[in-house]
Amino acid sequence: MSSRVNWKYFLLVVPTIIYVLALSIYPALSVVYQSFQTPSGHYTVSNYTALGYYGLQSALIDTLIVSIAALVLQLFLALFIAMIMMKPFKGSKAFSTIVVVPFGVATVVSAFVFSQIFSPVGGYANSFLVGFGLNPVNWAGTSVTQLGIVVFSDYWKNTPLVALILFSGLSGLSPSMFDAATVDGAGPMRRFLHITLPNMAPIMSIALLIRGVSEFNIFALPLVLIGYHPPLINTLVYEFYTTTSGTIYYSYAAATILLVIIMVYAMFVLWRGGAKNYAL
Amino acid sequence: MPSKVNYATYIGAVLLAIIFLYPLYILFMITFVPTFYTFGQLYPPQLPMGFTLSNVYQSITQLNLIKPVFRSTIVAFIVGGLSLVLGIPAAYGLSKLGARVSNKIIVLLFLINMMPGIVVAIPISVDFLSLGLANIYGVALAQELVVLPLSVFIMLGGFRALPRDLENQARVDGASLGTTMLRVLIPLNRAPIIVAFLLSWMTSWDEFTYAVIISPTSSTFPVQLYNYVTRGVPYEASAISLIVTIPVIIIAAVLQKYLKSQYLTGGMTI
Repeated sequence: MSSRVNWKYFLLVVPTIIYVLALSIYPALSVVYQSFQTPSGHYTVSNYTALGYYGLQSALIDTLIVSIAALVLQLFLALFIAMIMMKPFKGSKAFSTIVVVPFGVATVVSAFVFSQIFSPVGGYANSFLVGFGLNPVNWAGTSVTQLGIVVFSDYWKNTPLVALILFSGLSGLSPSMFDAATVDGAGPMRRFLHITLPNMAPIMSIALLIRGVSEFNIFALPLVLIGYHPPLINTLVYEFYTTTSGTIYYSYAAATILLVIIMVYAMFVLWRGGAKNYAL
Repeated sequence: MPSKVNYATYIGAVLLAIIFLYPLYILFMITFVPTFYTFGQLYPPQLPMGFTLSNVYQSITQLNLIKPVFRSTIVAFIVGGLSLVLGIPAAYGLSKLGARVSNKIIVLLFLINMMPGIVVAIPISVDFLSLGLANIYGVALAQELVVLPLSVFIMLGGFRALPRDLENQARVDGASLGTTMLRVLIPLNRAPIIVAFLLSWMTSWDEFTYAVIISPTSSTFPVQLYNYVTRGVPYEASAISLIVTIPVIIIAAVLQKYLKSQYLTGGMTI
């Protein structure tokens, strides 16, 4: 193929590349740049130091807790779901359809429904507990229960995606491996630990990368479910952004921190998962 | 042994199905059951105690949620359409460039795609304001950023799978590149194109971050729903939630068999 032909086809890609670069690199650079500025245009790191007084540490820790808890829960249950989907049983098609349904529900809608379920007054979770003779829980009472309902709601909405990813990974595994292990006397647990898990590691790291980046970016769900308190990184950024009186520079600083965390996380997973595996 | 495994599978499947359906069941209930039995109780009953359409009627007539739903529809179709207008030529061009170059471009697009929404949204909201784009059209342009890489990738797979000969034949018969695209390549590649369009449409329908930051007033339905929920008119918001959810659930269920791993993992395959 001559280079002249290459150029002609490359021109077809140029609009997309320009579109994506113009709408992402430029804004990201301007966020980083302005995070080091005062409203009057001087250079400063005061935006970062000020964040400490506004609960940046706890927002970071809470975001980490929510992300890790949600990832572990989603990965574990999605693997379970994917393994059920692999089994031929009557109604397996209905099961696959039911499991995929939350994927189609808008985040704000699912947040609204869970806010009704976990409402401290007139909530369905409490009416369930009381129906079983247990004490009702004040879900809005502590930050532990608040973060818990965020994790649970997030799990409902996003597990289907992870399950579908893992399902296609499982369908790619050769059944003969399992047969051979069974003949050699390996039980279900050992087959899972020594065959399923190692062979699923690359696709699980992809699921971790995609979901992990989204978990750090979790925004609409906590905003509807628990508001600004306890703050997560995104709700903190948004609070600075919507509050008047010059706090927009704090939001730039907090957004820069979020950007750095996501870049580090993506690099880490790509490195641990073996960049070679991403055979694009 | 087999019957024991089936037994466990069934229990697991039923339990999971209940967990996944329960929130939707609650949504149906607070929409169609009189508020006396739902919002009016400290410990509302888990079973429907009555039936009413007044919540639906009130939310349609009193709350101004129809317009946001209409705006969301416009935005979703713009986002889906732009995915095809920008994405089809890009995917076709990439399929012609050879794997080494095209893979690098795809990786670049996906790495950029990991940029946090809020990091992009806040600075461009300032620029869009001065450009007169602090409205749903600006929201559509920003959401396109989220869906474009995946759309290009899905359609690239389709174009790569097409036999070269078909295209060459059309060209030998005297068809221009444009005619070949419209008459041969796009019709043959319609499955990935439809999937790319529907996924873009769904993503836009769901998207909140760009919508609330770029166009906080007269925005799409997620923003409006957020406003109503925080201001405390939940039973009317529930009806609209249900109405906007049903079409997307149908799309998701239909798409299910097309939702292959490489679409969902943003093009990263093992």
